[in-house]
Amino acid sequence: MVLTGRLTLLALLGVVPILVYPGSTPILLWLLLLAGGVAVDLALAASPRKAGIRRDLPGSVRLGEQCASTLGIRNDSSRVLRATIREAWQPSAGAVDPEQKLRVPAGETRRMEITLIPERRGILSVAAVTIRSTGPLGLAARQITVPAPGSLRVLPPFHSKRHLPSKLRRLRELDGRAAVQIRGGGTEFDSLRDYVRGDDVRSIDWRATARKRDTVVRTWRPERDRRVVIVLDTSRTSAARINDEPRLDTGIEAALLLAVLAQRGGDKVDFLAFDRRQRARVDSAAKGNLINALVTAMAPLEAELIEADWSRIPSQIRAVSAHRSLVVLLTSLDSGSVEEGLLPVLPSLTAQHVVVVASVRDPRLEEMRSERSTVSDAFRAAAAERALLDREAVTAHLRLLGAEVVDESPSELPPKLADAYIRLKAAGRL
Amino acid sequence: MGNGGTVLDTARQRFRRSVPLLLLLLVIAAVGALTLVTGPTADTRPLSPGNASPTGSRALIQVLQGQGIEAVRPSSYEEARATLTQGNATLFLYDPDRWLNDDQLAGLAGASARTVLAAPTADQLEVLAPGVSVIGPLVSAPDVVEAQCDDDDARSAGTITSGGDGYSGPVECFPAATAGQDAVGSSYVTTADKDIAVIGSLEVLDNGGISSAGNAALALRALGREPVLVWYQPTSADVATTGTPVDARNLLPEWVNPLMVWLLICSVLAILWRGRRLGPLAVEPLPVVVGAAETAEGRARLYQDSKSVPHAAANLRAATLGRMAARLRLPRSSTHAHILDAAAVRTGRPRSDLERIVASIPNGNRELVQFSQELLDVEKELDQQ
Repeated sequence: MVLTGRLTLLALLGVVPILVYPGSTPILLWLLLLAGGVAVDLALAASPRKAGIRRDLPGSVRLGEQCASTLGIRNDSSRVLRATIREAWQPSAGAVDPEQKLRVPAGETRRMEITLIPERRGILSVAAVTIRSTGPLGLAARQITVPAPGSLRVLPPFHSKRHLPSKLRRLRELDGRAAVQIRGGGTEFDSLRDYVRGDDVRSIDWRATARKRDTVVRTWRPERDRRVVIVLDTSRTSAARINDEPRLDTGIEAALLLAVLAQRGGDKVDFLAFDRRQRARVDSAAKGNLINALVTAMAPLEAELIEADWSRIPSQIRAVSAHRSLVVLLTSLDSGSVEEGLLPVLPSLTAQHVVVVASVRDPRLEEMRSERSTVSDAFRAAAAERALLDREAVTAHLRLLGAEVVDESPSELPPKLADAYIRLKAAGRL
Repeated sequence: MGNGGTVLDTARQRFRRSVPLLLLLLVIAAVGALTLVTGPTADTRPLSPGNASPTGSRALIQVLQGQGIEAVRPSSYEEARATLTQGNATLFLYDPDRWLNDDQLAGLAGASARTVLAAPTADQLEVLAPGVSVIGPLVSAPDVVEAQCDDDDARSAGTITSGGDGYSGPVECFPAATAGQDAVGSSYVTTADKDIAVIGSLEVLDNGGISSAGNAALALRALGREPVLVWYQPTSADVATTGTPVDARNLLPEWVNPLMVWLLICSVLAILWRGRRLGPLAVEPLPVVVGAAETAEGRARLYQDSKSVPHAAANLRAATLGRMAARLRLPRSSTHAHILDAAAVRTGRPRSDLERIVASIPNGNRELVQFSQELLDVEKELDQQ
């Protein structure tokens, strides 16, 4: 049973008879009136138990876009249902109008749309729908909460998409399809074509030139059908926020851009999210759209508050690809965790694969470093310098072990990782 | 037909949800009942026979009872009078709050064989012992005062602790100067027939002071003369009332009370209206919020708290030299001397100048700030070239 504001107003109106006829009689009479009104309302309100709920949700929505959760309320009772309905979405689902009034005639169905603007990537859930059915007088209502679980998959936004056209252009140049071509490191002979200014003179095929009496160059096609294995670290270090974005989300952006680029470049892309066990996996052999498969697999990823078990990474990678591959490790370069985890297993990886270690650098450290006006600032600058020095030492160590290192700020990491891929491909190192 | 389930399901669910609340109410009720059952709290009135604290008089009463004296503790004025009229009783009266009026005091005046007044006020003395008057508070130094009179009780006590109120009367014992040093008052004063005694110092009677000097002797002898001791401490219940009191509520218009009741009902309805939520709260699994630079901040505070200026300076120096080497296109492994040589050539600054800045070892916070800023300046200068 729920009392309404109208009942309180009616009760306040009772002040008039009490002022006119002081005593206990008007109090009792007015209470009786209120009780009667409430009883009538409760008796005549449509039973909320007899409301059928049906929810239509889109399967997934990209972060930053809006979608609607549609509730169909069917009234199975014989009375009109005057209801206030609330769908209890978790706050980060960004429900704009979760409470709505609805009037459903007996035996009919009405729909209500709740606009959702999700504020966070991941699986957002709704547990229940509450129905408050008000009586005809509007003095009292019956209310129940019906368990109606549902979930919405919020996909990563893929902001780094905007870098895609420029990177693809560079990839095409590499491929020999563009007019100006850099001399690819590929070994596979592709075709002969006329020389254009800017071509590398070393690639002129003199024999063909002599035959045709026009300068002709050889083109090589960069290797295709190489494998790219992207490993995303979801351990505790990925929970740290840089520019108010977890490292994990920046890693996802970088992984998406690289995956799309590598796929257009004709390579096979495998994705693996790992801390102590496999959290997500996308197989290059699978059918369907790679990017869809990737965002769907990445959506529920959360930073786990455990240390990554790097000793199991080589076997995981071997399970994905037995051949020489480009292995991209999206992790962090914090000293301590890297020395304990990644460094010991890196030699075994670099022996077989080309390894790129990509990490987000915190621009805050640079700010702390250059602010030196007070004593606290000076100590902070010293601590920031220490952190940067440690980072540099770790980077140098990784390079020494044969890995490429991409260490950039959050906005720069995806394009710089893509550049590293293009550079390796151009150099024929894949 | 609908998704709502049955009434029984809902009832069961709500009961399960409210179990913790019911348990809490049960605990509160149990605690309340226990405090009611365990009875009234300890007696804390000064000079009360039941009070065992330093301000009570339990010790004195127990010793008197051990000597065969019947100690009666009347709870009302009527009871005190009734006990006194049976004869052969000593009245002990201690009424610092002046609950009794003059008529009531006059009723007590002739009733007892002996009366002992503890720190009486001037009004009480006027009725009960007309020959005795109040002088004022006495000095409390030295610790004890001597009897200096021929009263048997006082002489056998010899000395008592000083302080308390001073009185003057027919027989004055234990005289001392008042706090203002302008008069002399006595701690123990009796009338000429020795039937009424006034004790000015409460320390003579309470648990805290009774064992000092001759306090016990004086108290026991003063109160133990008769076989019955009526220990009377008036309470607010003894205040004599005149006429029926006026109830303030009767002065208000008659509609005020019903209106108040009705507004109370309205407010309860409003609470019920606003207090009911539209369904349970939705739960948000909160993400971990850790800034990546937190560790560096924490380390900075550690440096500062432990005042490790040399350590901080070494960090700053190493970082600056590293960046200078990169800027001057020297290998990372170059020695400091090499880097400084190259920097001196590039910037045109004397090498000794750079050497002084880079190699200086700051001592204290202020020098550290200066040192760090100078390093930054050197780097900037190098960048501008």
